[in-house]
Amino acid sequence: MQDIIRRLEEQRARARLGGGERRIAAQHAKGKLTARERIEVLLDEGSFEEWDMFKEHRCTDFGMDEEHIPGDGVVTGYGTINGRLVFVFSQDFTVFGGSLSEAHAEKICKIMDQAMKVGAPVIGLNDSGGARIQEGVASLGGYADVFQRNVLASGVIPQISMIMGPCAGGAVYSPAMTDFIFMVKDTSYMFVTGPDVVKTVTHEEVTAEELGGAITHTTRSGVADAAFENDIEALLQLRRFFDFLPLNNREKPPVRPTSDVAERMEPSLDTLVPDNPNQPYDIKELILKVVDEGDFFEIQPDYAKNIVVGFGRMEGKTVGFVANQPMVLAGCLDIKSSIKAARFVRFCDAFNIPIVTFVDVPGFLPGTAQEYGGIIKHGAKLLYAYAEATVPKITVITRKAYGGAYDVMSSKHLRGDVNFAWPTAEIAVMGPKGAVEIIFRDEKNDPEKIAAREAEYREKFANPFVAARRGYIDDVIMPHATRKRICRSLAMLEDKKLENPWRKHGNIPL
Amino acid sequence: MFKKILIANRGEIACRVIKTARKMGIATVAVYSEADRRALHVQLADEAVCIGPAPSKESYLAMDKIIAVCKQTGAEAVHPGYGFLSENEEFARRLEEEGIVFIGPKHAAIAAMGDKIASKKLAMQAGVNTIPGYNDPIESADEAVRIARDIGYPVMIKASAGGGGKGLRVAYDDAQCREGFESCRNEARNAFGDDRVFIEKFVEEPRHIEIQVFGDAYGNYVYLFERECSVQRRHQKVVEEAPSPFIDPDTRRAMGEQAVALARAVQYQSAGTVEFVVGKDKSFYFLEMNTRLQVEHPVTEMITGLDLVEWMIRIAAGEKLPLSQSELRIDGWAMECRINAEDPFRGFLPSTGRLVKFRPPAEVPGQLRVDTGVYEGGEISMYYDSMIAKLIVHGRDRLEAIERMQEALDAFVIRGIHSNIPFQAALMQHPRFREGRLTTGFIAEEFPEGFTPEMVPHEDPLMLRLILAAVEHKLRLRNARLSGQMNGHRYTPSPNYQVIDAQGATAATVEELSDTRFVVRSGDRVLQIDFDPRWRLGEIVLQVRIGDAPMTVQLEREGILYVLRHHGAELRARVLPAHIAALWSLMPVKSPPDMSKFLLSPMPGLLREVAVAEGQEVKAGEKLAVIEAMKMENILRAEQDGKVKKIVAKPGASLAVDEVILEFE
Repeated sequence: MQDIIRRLEEQRARARLGGGERRIAAQHAKGKLTARERIEVLLDEGSFEEWDMFKEHRCTDFGMDEEHIPGDGVVTGYGTINGRLVFVFSQDFTVFGGSLSEAHAEKICKIMDQAMKVGAPVIGLNDSGGARIQEGVASLGGYADVFQRNVLASGVIPQISMIMGPCAGGAVYSPAMTDFIFMVKDTSYMFVTGPDVVKTVTHEEVTAEELGGAITHTTRSGVADAAFENDIEALLQLRRFFDFLPLNNREKPPVRPTSDVAERMEPSLDTLVPDNPNQPYDIKELILKVVDEGDFFEIQPDYAKNIVVGFGRMEGKTVGFVANQPMVLAGCLDIKSSIKAARFVRFCDAFNIPIVTFVDVPGFLPGTAQEYGGIIKHGAKLLYAYAEATVPKITVITRKAYGGAYDVMSSKHLRGDVNFAWPTAEIAVMGPKGAVEIIFRDEKNDPEKIAAREAEYREKFANPFVAARRGYIDDVIMPHATRKRICRSLAMLEDKKLENPWRKHGNIPL
Repeated sequence: MFKKILIANRGEIACRVIKTARKMGIATVAVYSEADRRALHVQLADEAVCIGPAPSKESYLAMDKIIAVCKQTGAEAVHPGYGFLSENEEFARRLEEEGIVFIGPKHAAIAAMGDKIASKKLAMQAGVNTIPGYNDPIESADEAVRIARDIGYPVMIKASAGGGGKGLRVAYDDAQCREGFESCRNEARNAFGDDRVFIEKFVEEPRHIEIQVFGDAYGNYVYLFERECSVQRRHQKVVEEAPSPFIDPDTRRAMGEQAVALARAVQYQSAGTVEFVVGKDKSFYFLEMNTRLQVEHPVTEMITGLDLVEWMIRIAAGEKLPLSQSELRIDGWAMECRINAEDPFRGFLPSTGRLVKFRPPAEVPGQLRVDTGVYEGGEISMYYDSMIAKLIVHGRDRLEAIERMQEALDAFVIRGIHSNIPFQAALMQHPRFREGRLTTGFIAEEFPEGFTPEMVPHEDPLMLRLILAAVEHKLRLRNARLSGQMNGHRYTPSPNYQVIDAQGATAATVEELSDTRFVVRSGDRVLQIDFDPRWRLGEIVLQVRIGDAPMTVQLEREGILYVLRHHGAELRARVLPAHIAALWSLMPVKSPPDMSKFLLSPMPGLLREVAVAEGQEVKAGEKLAVIEAMKMENILRAEQDGKVKKIVAKPGASLAVDEVILEFE
């Protein structure tokens, strides 16, 4: 017995050392933490329960039978973040470069299966050189086993990926199917084919950072949702992010006590919308002044900035915010922003998170680039997502709600629960100038008449009352009372029940 | 008394005048430009009339329009505030002709004091000290010495065409005078091609001290003591106080009586200010007379308990001065800080935009007064003066006033634009300012290289770090009250932290005694911190008690970085649980991206001109672009030689701070 305990301690010590002190030092020299250190930072102190610490690979080819390191390049288990259960796998770059073997994949699958059974999120900390080449197809099979579980878990439990080192080739598709991908600046990259292959095939010269670094994926490709300065900042922000999410799709989002009050008035919002309808303003000011404690976690802050999405809380409860941003492209919807917002809306809907939408949209962005790029299909994604969503939906039109974009942005017609407008709202098919030029085409050459028609159109539609008379708007509210009105609406909708007809799955225009 | 008056001004002074008018039961008419449609003075006035586009010339300086509005609204009198038309003789005269009362001096008095040379002559005749000097060109060194002896040393020898320190000499004796005369003349000849040289008395360690005077239509005059306005930046007053920490009762009386003599000489009827320069030997000399209400009039109001605007209105309405000289007293000490929309860390460049947050400290009658013309959600436009508020405090003595001012500055939140609050806070901390050893060169001497955050060391940085540890623990405890935790395994955050800032790491252990009371230990230091129970997470202003001492700080979070501000000092720190902090040293230190290859806009404004073309070689000092902001054209010059690679911003574009204008190779 004593002997066994001593052996256990020895084996644990060996496993904890991963790839050895030299490789740990090399990891640190790159400014990266080890797999276990990362878990320490991410989880509540002392809460981690490790599984499969002693698991090893079974490969015998290419001398691999000589090299066995317990854990086989990934640390797995569960623990808590602010007391709430979460399953974690953390790839260990010091062991075989974090490469994925059959055994490595089995460890990940094991915690994913358990997470599905108990209904808890899975966080993956990715730092892997790729497939364990010595294992050949067994490694590829391992990837696919993980992919399959990613898909089955999608919409059931939240899945979050934090890319903290290399993630290349087939390995990228597991994070790609999770709900959120975060990256660490300068030390992480993701791509399907690396710079060397790119050079051979297309003769493009590109560095790993340019091809798939954090900046690339948070500003150009939109693959990643946010980038952080270093491992510790990334993991602490991940803790903050995790607190917004429910544990699974049967639960409501968590409630965090707050001293902020629902009745808080913000008089400065009364002047947020400028007098000049063509002058932009920062919609984030509205979000920050409406949410609890000004605490807003923005998703994809540097990508498709013409729409703002992210999580906040109202009276302690998680809310997803979607808002047109007049500062960028006048807040127009385009391909990128439609996809960005659609994915966010679907996440919120899958996990019972109410959606608050702030609308100031002059329409869809015109142009050949958009049409050739398929704005019809991509724009439809956002329309589909809003129409399909059964969670509480609250909409506030702050200024422009023109044309088809009015319909798309969580309108009453798409089962919006509460639709408000500020007094500055203009709900119409298009802006007065464009509308008059079409309706009164014959008078086009008479500037006086056109001006009069324009004034008439503005009088009629450049206000929230036409829509309100039809009941498309439930109430016209004062901007300074926006927080209070949203809080009361959310409270009213607390027990909302709405189900879509049974089907295998819908066919969202992909 | 008038039933209705018009205020021909904007901003804080318009609001200030409206307040008094309201107190006196007088209806008010505001005028405003198109840029001021939503301004505070428009909201406060009983009536408001738009008088034209944003540029002052077409609105606040447009006499015809203002007079028309008087007639249209039936305003019987006009208060001009300061600036704009307040010292415009023609405006005062035209109002008189129209039968509208100008709430200010008669136009003749404005005219008499408006001309520098004429006013100096008038002052001499009235027996007011003027700077002794010789106003004809001096021909020889002998003559120079004779005149210098006449005036009395030290003297200043200056070139007629001089400027920017060139062609200027100070002489303390005959030898220096001779030498100074020759070199000044040579320099002037070479630099300006004009060798005319003058001599005047050199005032050593000059202070700007001014006397508030009042006169009525019945020949009564009083002085309301002095204000010291020596703290100036490029001839703009920054801090004003009353009384002056420098002058004694005899000097005060002498200055006051001379100021009254001058007022009497021009039959002055209203509020006026006689400005003096005062040397280190307490000799004082007349500079000029301002025939209007001054920006800094509130400090006089605070020490006398009077309302100067009310006096102006009463006198204009034909009433007598309410008090005589013997009834006037100085009570305690008052100080005013001008709060400007400018960035003290970027050479005080103007800052414009939306006031995302504007929360002045709460007024306390008799102790703290806030005069402002803006509000949260308002817009600071580039058309007008950058002063957006004035903080005025009163204390029993100077140090108490300074401490109240510090407290007020700590509690003043302005976001969306930059303000000079950090600089004002630094002044309040400055030992020389606290001692009252002021001269008009104070700021130039003490901040020769400009102002940086590092110039304001905190007296107790450890205390700031421990406050942050308590805040972080409070936050983590609250976060650990999240719903949905594992049954029976609720999370309790550990109380051990490291506060990591540029100076290193400080260990701290936090104990929670109650929701608002925390004890923080670090080495030998034990701090009991009581949070204001009304404070809500996310609010910038945090009031705490450290033991018995109240303290106001401003607290913000950027990601995991805290920014704590107190007394002008700024602490940027991360507070990490001890077990995580041990790993922090492994994190790479990243230097900010190199922007030296870019020309960035130093302020928000309009790009007037790009003076170079792509591919052009430029030399250091060459003009690159012109940005217009707050009525001022700012020329951006090349800092080093280089070649323009790409022009990114087009002329006519509105630029944000740090927006790229062009790129170098």
